[in-house]
Amino acid sequence: MPSHQKILWKVCCIAAIIVSILGFTPLAIPNNIFQPKLLGMPYPLWVSMLLSFLLVFLTFLGTKVHPGKNNPEEE
Amino acid sequence: MIPILIVISIIYLGLLVTFSLVTRQKEKDTATYLLAGSKIGSVLGIFTFAATLFSTFTLIGMPDFFRTHGVGSWMFLAFSDAAMVFAIISVGYYLRKKAKREDFKGLSGLIVQCYKNKFAGYIVFAGAFIFLVPYVAIQIRGIAIFLNATFPGAMPIWGWATAMVVLMLTYSEIGGLKAIIYSDMLQGLLLLIVIWIIGYNCLTYFGNMNNLFVKIEEVNKGLLSVPGPKGLFTPQFLIASFIAIMMIPFTQPHVVTRIIIMKNYKSLFRMAIGVGVFAMIIIFPTLLIGMYGAVNHPEASTADFISNVLITEQTDFIAAFTVIGLIAAAISTSDSQIFAMGGELRSLLEGEDSKMLQITRIAIVFFAVTILIFSLLTSDQLVLLARTSFAGTALMAPMIFVGIFATKKLNMALPVFTLVCMLAFIGSLMGLIPNSYIGIRLDLILMFSLTAFALVNYHFFSEKLAAPEQVISEAK
Repeated sequence: MPSHQKILWKVCCIAAIIVSILGFTPLAIPNNIFQPKLLGMPYPLWVSMLLSFLLVFLTFLGTKVHPGKNNPEEE
Repeated sequence: MIPILIVISIIYLGLLVTFSLVTRQKEKDTATYLLAGSKIGSVLGIFTFAATLFSTFTLIGMPDFFRTHGVGSWMFLAFSDAAMVFAIISVGYYLRKKAKREDFKGLSGLIVQCYKNKFAGYIVFAGAFIFLVPYVAIQIRGIAIFLNATFPGAMPIWGWATAMVVLMLTYSEIGGLKAIIYSDMLQGLLLLIVIWIIGYNCLTYFGNMNNLFVKIEEVNKGLLSVPGPKGLFTPQFLIASFIAIMMIPFTQPHVVTRIIIMKNYKSLFRMAIGVGVFAMIIIFPTLLIGMYGAVNHPEASTADFISNVLITEQTDFIAAFTVIGLIAAAISTSDSQIFAMGGELRSLLEGEDSKMLQITRIAIVFFAVTILIFSLLTSDQLVLLARTSFAGTALMAPMIFVGIFATKKLNMALPVFTLVCMLAFIGSLMGLIPNSYIGIRLDLILMFSLTAFALVNYHFFSEKLAAPEQVISEAK
């Protein structure tokens, strides 16, 4: 497996951890605050949606650089 | 509605019978009957995984959760599910690798292989049984109560519950896991279509998203932020739920099985992405339904709210589909969980395969009857009981992770400590011990204690495996 692919996989993992932690900070879910709105949606909703989509996108990127992508055990 | 419902029911039952007959095999063995031949492609994988994961909990529980506790419910479930799919490609990959090496029959059996001790497997089996039975039971009860309220006088609650258990037992006993997977595909699609039609109707009522949230602001401003009007979504609650939900694919046997039986790694990866997308598109309409309920049925009981939104306020055609969708949602999760408990038992049994499989099939009936009895006695707190189930099985995660990744000889200290923690958690649920200490939730304390214990025990108290040369010389 090329070393740059390993690095990219690690970057994906670190990014997923950062996004996960970010989700529980007041930046994403401030207490009793719902402004600014986006498309009418309150702040905690659209930010947590954005972070959720980001995690799914990171999963997609992760599968492209995963160490097991070219696993010889594949039939 | 009744004539339409009868027609749809006949079509639905006909499809289930077809799946059972198509997947039926005269010569049954563990690999084909319990593990569906382990050659599941990505599309089937997405639907079976999603239908197993998103059950009555999603169709009934989540709209009610949004209605009662507000937009923080997205963080509670959708964000945790998104993290879970990343965990599937990262940890699931190694779980699969380990399972392939150890001739996987079930999670309990895999743990026996990892710890070289049967007691470790018994702990996993007991944990799965204790924490999954109430979860399955509440789903059957939830739908039985709903059907009883929608069709008063047709059948008592126990009659509806028994009919559902008999239905799922029939097709799963005949066709095995393959029949369950095909029915999951049908049920997953049905769930998705029904929930989107109702969600769209709810949005149409307001005109657009902006109007919807303006109305919510007038009715109950607390729903627009965390911790929500009842203060449920504290950071501790959200973090504990996040960990519990993220651990589902590695600690709940029916989900573990779905990772292992994928055709190859590529299918597993595609399935993970698909489940992530499915989670987002199925949770979003529950937000719309919940917000609609917050405006129009703020004080109604859960049963009344669900009955009004899903049935009374829909056209006859949609209402009939919803009834079938709800039944499908309940049985698609329940059958997988009951079947997986059978699989767990099989993985602990040793002996001639056909005989052991026979015992397993009898045990599946026993598990189903246990769940049926429990469903007649349990409470109605669907989402919170489901969360308790996730938290309970998540306590096994450190023990399972050490088993998957270990390159050393493992001792029994961690399984024993896991058992102690599970007993403490059950004690807190029964009110025997407090559920928080110095302001910290007990489930969080237990999860972190287990993680710390696992790391210390593995790094300082586990022996290195003997080198191959040493083993040969010892054998001589």
